[in-house]
Amino acid sequence: MSEAIKVDIWSDVQCPWCYIGKRKFEAGAELFDGEVEVEYHSFELSPDTPVEYEGTPVQYLSERKGMPVAQVEEMLERVTGIAKAVGLEYDYDHVHQTNTVISHELLHFAKSKGRQLEMKERLLKAYFIDGEHVGRIPDLVAIAVELGYDADEVTEALESHRFLADVKADVALAQEYGIQGVPFFVIDGKYGVSGAQEAEAFANVLAQVKSERVQAEREAV
Amino acid sequence: MTDALVSPSPKPLLIVGDPTAAACEGDFCEIPDHHQQAVVNRALDSDLV
Repeated sequence: MSEAIKVDIWSDVQCPWCYIGKRKFEAGAELFDGEVEVEYHSFELSPDTPVEYEGTPVQYLSERKGMPVAQVEEMLERVTGIAKAVGLEYDYDHVHQTNTVISHELLHFAKSKGRQLEMKERLLKAYFIDGEHVGRIPDLVAIAVELGYDADEVTEALESHRFLADVKADVALAQEYGIQGVPFFVIDGKYGVSGAQEAEAFANVLAQVKSERVQAEREAV
Repeated sequence: MTDALVSPSPKPLLIVGDPTAAACEGDFCEIPDHHQQAVVNRALDSDLV
């Protein structure tokens, strides 16, 4: 089998299961004996969130879902514990709840440079671990510059919203697929895997695709 | 793992894997029961409980 298996992943920067699922998928891809090609797609969980939300994630969820603060705190504590189990140190005390659409634009900018995976990891880390703001252009430019991008070029791309149409196209494609939650993995354009599955689950689907390709090649001979 | 260059075309998907795996919908991220149990189990393994 010569071609890498394509995996399209819908994800949001402020989705705790997306970062956990990313680690689990990466572990699954490591278990798999073959090549995997990944493309991330934009999914906005809360497109109506203001960029400059003043409260904490606890306040945000409590207000939006009408849940008692103690219950939200307990929920985030549990997510933090699960993240820790895959090596991620979530710091909800310093998370900046925000609108992530411009960070998605930055991801598309990075994709246009062939460096999307690196940016995806950096933005998730910025949001969940480093307590950085991922909704404001200057903060996002600083992150991009740290990765070696040109500040003026990134600023122009984000201020002109040159990649907004690509973000919206990803969201529309998710709707066409019927994707309602993230992370969501489309493997080889054929199999859909929803949520932060265990690594073995991802490895099994990849192995299934590989097996089907080998079978198809045999039949073609 | 490498960066991909082309986008997929939408077609019906065969959904596989654990249907109860954790995911976020809207602004809410559910924690399935088995994940909570896993955290408790880890705490027990670490003698934290």
